[in-house]
Amino acid sequence: MTDTRKQPLKLAVVGHTNVGKTSLLRTLTRDVGFGEVSHRPSTTRHVEGARLSVDGEPLLDLYDTPGLEDAIALLDYLERLERPGERLDGPARLARFLEGSEARQRFEQEAKVLRQLLASDAGLYVIDAREPVLAKYRDELEVLASCGKPLLPVLNFVSSTNHREPAWREALARLGLHALVRFDSVAPPEDGERRLYESLALLLEHARPQLERLIADQQAQRLARQQSAARLIAELLIDCAACRRSVVSEAEQEQQAINELRKAVRQREQRCVEALLKLYAFRPQDAAASDLPLLDGRWGDDLFNPETLKQLGVRVGGGIAAGAAAGAGVDLLVGGITLGAAALAGAIAGGALQTVRSYGSRLLGKIKGQRELTVDDNVLRLLALRQRQLLQALDARGHAAMDSIQVATPQDKTWREGTLPEALNKARAHPQWSSLNAHPKLNQAERQEQIEELAQQL
Amino acid sequence: MTELNNLWLTETIRLREEHAGPLEDLEANRLARSAGGDLPARIQRRALWLAERDGLSEALKHWLQGARLALIVLAVLAVVSGTGLAFAAMGDGLHPVNVFWALGSLLGINLILLLSWALGLVFAGEHGASLGRLWLWLSEKLARDAKAAQLAPALLLLLQRQKLNRWAIGVVANGLWLLAMLSALVILLTLMATRRYGFVWETTILSADTFIAMTQALGALPALLGFSVPTEQMIRASGDAALNIESARQAWAAWLVGVLLVYGVVPRLLLAVFCLWRWKTGKSALRLDLNLPGYAQLRERLMPTSERLGVSDAAPAQLHRVESGVSEQQSDGALLVAIELDDDRPWPPQLPKSVSNAGILDSRESRHKLLEQLSRFPPARLAIACDPRRSPDRGSLALIAELARSASATRIWLLQAPPGKALDAERLGDWHVALQQLELPFADCAPMNWLETGHD
Repeated sequence: MTDTRKQPLKLAVVGHTNVGKTSLLRTLTRDVGFGEVSHRPSTTRHVEGARLSVDGEPLLDLYDTPGLEDAIALLDYLERLERPGERLDGPARLARFLEGSEARQRFEQEAKVLRQLLASDAGLYVIDAREPVLAKYRDELEVLASCGKPLLPVLNFVSSTNHREPAWREALARLGLHALVRFDSVAPPEDGERRLYESLALLLEHARPQLERLIADQQAQRLARQQSAARLIAELLIDCAACRRSVVSEAEQEQQAINELRKAVRQREQRCVEALLKLYAFRPQDAAASDLPLLDGRWGDDLFNPETLKQLGVRVGGGIAAGAAAGAGVDLLVGGITLGAAALAGAIAGGALQTVRSYGSRLLGKIKGQRELTVDDNVLRLLALRQRQLLQALDARGHAAMDSIQVATPQDKTWREGTLPEALNKARAHPQWSSLNAHPKLNQAERQEQIEELAQQL
Repeated sequence: MTELNNLWLTETIRLREEHAGPLEDLEANRLARSAGGDLPARIQRRALWLAERDGLSEALKHWLQGARLALIVLAVLAVVSGTGLAFAAMGDGLHPVNVFWALGSLLGINLILLLSWALGLVFAGEHGASLGRLWLWLSEKLARDAKAAQLAPALLLLLQRQKLNRWAIGVVANGLWLLAMLSALVILLTLMATRRYGFVWETTILSADTFIAMTQALGALPALLGFSVPTEQMIRASGDAALNIESARQAWAAWLVGVLLVYGVVPRLLLAVFCLWRWKTGKSALRLDLNLPGYAQLRERLMPTSERLGVSDAAPAQLHRVESGVSEQQSDGALLVAIELDDDRPWPPQLPKSVSNAGILDSRESRHKLLEQLSRFPPARLAIACDPRRSPDRGSLALIAELARSASATRIWLLQAPPGKALDAERLGDWHVALQQLELPFADCAPMNWLETGHD
């Protein structure tokens, strides 16, 4: 903390009541709990600040202010403050107003806004673009302009169908405000923050380095968030692909095991949803995953998964594996053992002892009449798709949004098609990679490698 | 603590938190925040503090001590086996030394293992990790403390990310072999200096020419360094019995030493140096992977991009209230006025003759004009039309109250939404609440009858 450090840029967020000033602050600070947002007018009645920092250095202070509600009367009052024969400029007139008693009574809220704007470097004038351009808004701008600070109009709710952007542009141009920014605080455009700060840099040339640093940092963080999110999803998919349950071949127990597997997968997905929400700084209740479609489980065919056999040094053609999957049973089973024995020496040399052991126990289980349940390919595809959709929704969601995202199953069946990434096929052969199984080994380098690879593909 | 140890502990803490849930870290976070620096520095500071508190630093020191001890034991083992190799190669000195057997026992295992190491390096994905896995397995078995259980995986993961573990293992393996070869060389020289050895070669099926070619081929490289190669006659003569000539003994001895040096010591030396170089450069490039979810979540706690500054100008206990009233003056007539209507709404509606239209109030001027007119000729009945899509702000309410004060009776007409659009129910509710506070009657249909006749 040195004294040579620059002061952060101060911005007052001003505007009429109920246009979304607090919402804009929530989105810009990525803080869902900032202030209070409601449909009622004059929800915010105090001035509250939030600070944006990069690498621990404060760059931007934003101040949320109460809404202006009575600008017409205030402008009237301000004009009457001039004594006969004198000519006051805007700030001088405001200074006189702020000293007077009406600044503590009828115009108390307005006085707070003006005091804050006078103490700031610039103001963001938030506009509800759905409103017609009324005379009171023009008077508001006139009052604000008398502070002598640069104003940047921000058009909120521009993603609404009945916005009146052209009318506002024209009206603002008539008032001499040519730079303006479209920024929907509920669904901000991807480059919305960059545009906002760039426009600010045009108004405040001395603050350009700070603002550019802020832009670069936010871009870097958006990227980092996306990569972290891809990792979280990759971990979910690997966990589910490697998950398996051994069950005695009895209808009732099978059904029970299927239900348990399904529950485990669903809970795992919900954990991923929560982790994504946390990563994007949303609340846990901001999204919920709907139920998974009934999964049939894959029956034991995994024993002949080409990847499992490859681990033993045996390469089988897809045809053989498919035949095995169809359940063309015992011959191949015996074949598998002989092939396995032949490759045993090589496998030991390769350090795959563990694999042999697990394969052996699974063979034993098969012989004892147990079957293995794993998660269906289609379900993995669905999980990937749903999480990706959620990620896109989170990426485009402003922190002012109040509704909850529903992570639903897509209606069309296209998600059932396509090939699974290689990493998931590999995971099928490594039960120890799944946190849903007993005795997981989650820190194996190969698992991390596959997660990394899968995350790249997502 | 070296940089590597810091990263190692940080990674260990991350794994611990990933597996056993978050640690209690309020103080650690506060200290890390107050110390400043960039995000990796703060994450490391926090992790080091937590590691210190939970005894992980101690555990790491024990680990390092153990590793050092193991390395010393291995080094001693290497020296002893190198000595053994040399003794085995040279025999007891009573019998002449079979040069190719000697060479085989000196270099054979070394070259086979060198080859397997190089193959492992090339196909690192499959087999390269086996030594590391062995170490991991050992450490899991040996870790008596649950805290220390994550130390080994953390190091492996950390190094794996830069593909560094193969170079680290390469340094150790090649270094140990270098030591073994050097000790073999020293013992070889000592033995040759203090004992008299005769050198022979033997064969049953191969011809002498093969041996001559082989000897000369092997000796070519050492010859460049100045080691002498036995002449053809010497080699031929050594096939029958050990030559008892000093020059032949010395030539064979120099050849053997040269071959051991060039094919045993030098490759291991070069590889050890190469691995060491890769390890050093890789080590200095080691960073925390900030994209890992575990670290990404720490960002908001250690280096918040946004923080609340708190309330700087508190809310008043109560907002300024607008009071409505009724005019006490002599009043007459009925008037309809609208406030802040859209351009696209047709206005005024069909009015009875006795009701006059005061237009739409929007600007300051129109307000002044109407209020002045009303104070001169107060109406008996005033209907104010409002669009409930606007927000009921204090300015509008004050205007309504002021208008109501200049009439004997006032009613508010909350307009319906234009065709094809809907009113926001919440906003309509806000209007109802606000108008109830003003104690003004309101309805969503035109009070035309009332305006015309004075009763509904």
